[in-house]
Amino acid sequence: MLKIENLHVSVEGKEILNGINLEIGAGEVHAIMGPNGSGKSTLSYILAGREGYDITEGRVLFNGKDLLDMSVEERAWAGVFLAFQYPVEVPGVSNIYFLKAALNGIRKHEGLSELDAMDFITRVKGKMKDLDMDEKFLYRAVNEGFSGGEKKRNEILQMSVLEPSLCLLDETDSGLDIDALQIVAEGVNRLRDPNRSFVLITHYQRLLDYIKPDYVHVLAHGKVVKSGGPELALELEKHGYAWVEEKLAS
Amino acid sequence: MSVTHLPNAHYSDLIASDNNHLIGGDIDWLNSLRKKASEEFTGVGFPSPREEEWRYTNISPIEKSQFALSKQAGSVNSAFLSSVLIEGCHHLVFVDGFYQAELSSIDGLPEGVVVSPISNSLNDYESLVKSLLDSVVETPALGFINFNTALFTDGAVISIEENTTVEQPIQVAFVSSKEGALSISNCRNVILAKASSKATVIETYNSVDDSCYLTNVITEVVVEPNANLTHNRLQAESLKAYHIGGVYSRLEKNAIFNQNNYTFGAVISRAEIHAELGEASDCCLDGLYIAEGHQLIDNHTRLNHLHPHSISNETYKGIMNDRSRGVFQGRIIVAQDAQKTDAKMNNRNLLLSDHAEADTKPQLEIYADDVKCAHGVTVGQLDDAAIFYLRTRGADEQMAKNMLTFAFANEMVERISFNPLRIKVLEQLVKRFPQPGMKLEWL
Repeated sequence: MLKIENLHVSVEGKEILNGINLEIGAGEVHAIMGPNGSGKSTLSYILAGREGYDITEGRVLFNGKDLLDMSVEERAWAGVFLAFQYPVEVPGVSNIYFLKAALNGIRKHEGLSELDAMDFITRVKGKMKDLDMDEKFLYRAVNEGFSGGEKKRNEILQMSVLEPSLCLLDETDSGLDIDALQIVAEGVNRLRDPNRSFVLITHYQRLLDYIKPDYVHVLAHGKVVKSGGPELALELEKHGYAWVEEKLAS
Repeated sequence: MSVTHLPNAHYSDLIASDNNHLIGGDIDWLNSLRKKASEEFTGVGFPSPREEEWRYTNISPIEKSQFALSKQAGSVNSAFLSSVLIEGCHHLVFVDGFYQAELSSIDGLPEGVVVSPISNSLNDYESLVKSLLDSVVETPALGFINFNTALFTDGAVISIEENTTVEQPIQVAFVSSKEGALSISNCRNVILAKASSKATVIETYNSVDDSCYLTNVITEVVVEPNANLTHNRLQAESLKAYHIGGVYSRLEKNAIFNQNNYTFGAVISRAEIHAELGEASDCCLDGLYIAEGHQLIDNHTRLNHLHPHSISNETYKGIMNDRSRGVFQGRIIVAQDAQKTDAKMNNRNLLLSDHAEADTKPQLEIYADDVKCAHGVTVGQLDDAAIFYLRTRGADEQMAKNMLTFAFANEMVERISFNPLRIKVLEQLVKRFPQPGMKLEWL
């Protein structure tokens, strides 16, 4: 589904990603772990198409197509979804209007007709219930005045409604208490599907207690320095990131 | 006189010419009022950009245009009229400055309530008109006010009886016809909300086609003790027209006055929204202006707190695209006696193009020592982070920008409680954002 080849990225001459190679198959869950400043969030922004980065080398293929040639919205239409670490507040745009515009935009590009208001509402309300979200959130401006946990849940709600094929979750666990983490993780697990892949970007192992990854990769200095199964995350938790650095040095 | 500006010969000639088309030619007090205004205009003319109040708004295109006086109403077809009239209202319709009885409909008004054109009122309600006309505008008057006083052809007289609520809003619709091109319509409205009355008035300004003309209109408002008046103004004139308008109001003790000012039309639009606040009165001014092309939209507001315990709350939001300009001046004056005044003013501007401009000037003059006054002004662009966020969810760039722009404006639209008016304002708003994906039924 996603193939990242020798990806080099810099910002104002400073190299942040330094030759990333990664392959993610359909239905797989990959966790990317790493210390602060390792380039984890940059990777997620690059995949979503944020401006302000120089891609100096390499390429990214999404279902065989060059992802980096696509605009931000084209990636969304093709099925890429980024759950933000810091979801943006959009004053004045109600959540329901936003969700509807997003969903119908994507459906249009899939050659589907727009959902009528009743079908849409039924669909959204069901998903909100799963995420233990009050319906009043639908009528509030997107993320405006939401708590950290509410914002993260709102990201997962959008993901559930839009049903993307590649879900990038950037530090979705940060700022969540244990109950909220469980609800969010259940929301993600419900979406697991042989045709849908996940990339979980996280600093801590605890998210992976709830969402079991198939593969774990460790990112340091803009490179994947170690890959393995779920046990790698446990080792990291035990020894800390310094352990990776030591291993690299030896 | 510190300002040297030559009175405009063309417009002085218009005033001096034989204006027998004007109403009330046989009424002495009105003749002398017109005469005084004529003389003042002939001496001073229209304002020049050298005057501080007009420095951002150069009206020389109006002077150069040498408009004629509108002397009769042109034709307006019923389809156009029905697009202008707001459902659920009483309607008074003026075309090119002249009342059109057959297009108007006023029924079922409570007893003692007057809703009538001045042209009909000078017989039945002469003393009412006399008591209101020229009673609220400030002196010395602006050139445009004098021009209006000298030459107004008609306008609405509205008087709400004491202790009476008029349930249906009263729409005063000003329409410019095709035949009205290259002329000036001067209308004058007077509104009296008597003690403990309640009513809503909606003034609308529309053009049949995209012709060039000048609307020069003044509304004088008196809100008596404990009365509650809402006055809306929806200006959607042709983008080639000029619009000079003013709402001058006086609030008496415990009066409530809400003035909402929605401006979309005219190549140059200037509105003066002035209020004098009596003791414990409450005045709310809302404004929304959206400009494109080479439009200039100028709103000058003035809140004069004269007596203790009055409250004012002002919010104006503007969106400027292309090479357009938005001008806002918000002046709050708190007189020495006006202790415990609570005044809030906010002006927010959104610039959608590198060539658009916002000139905003809050002015506080406070002579009392125990007051609360707050003001805030912002001029900004759309938030890049929000645009990116919306795009990651599948909105294309244009749609993301539209959504954010629309949201900025919609805050003002949502405050409109009378739904048919809210829809009219939304229609104007959506007209300005004709991108695919903007749909009224989503709101």
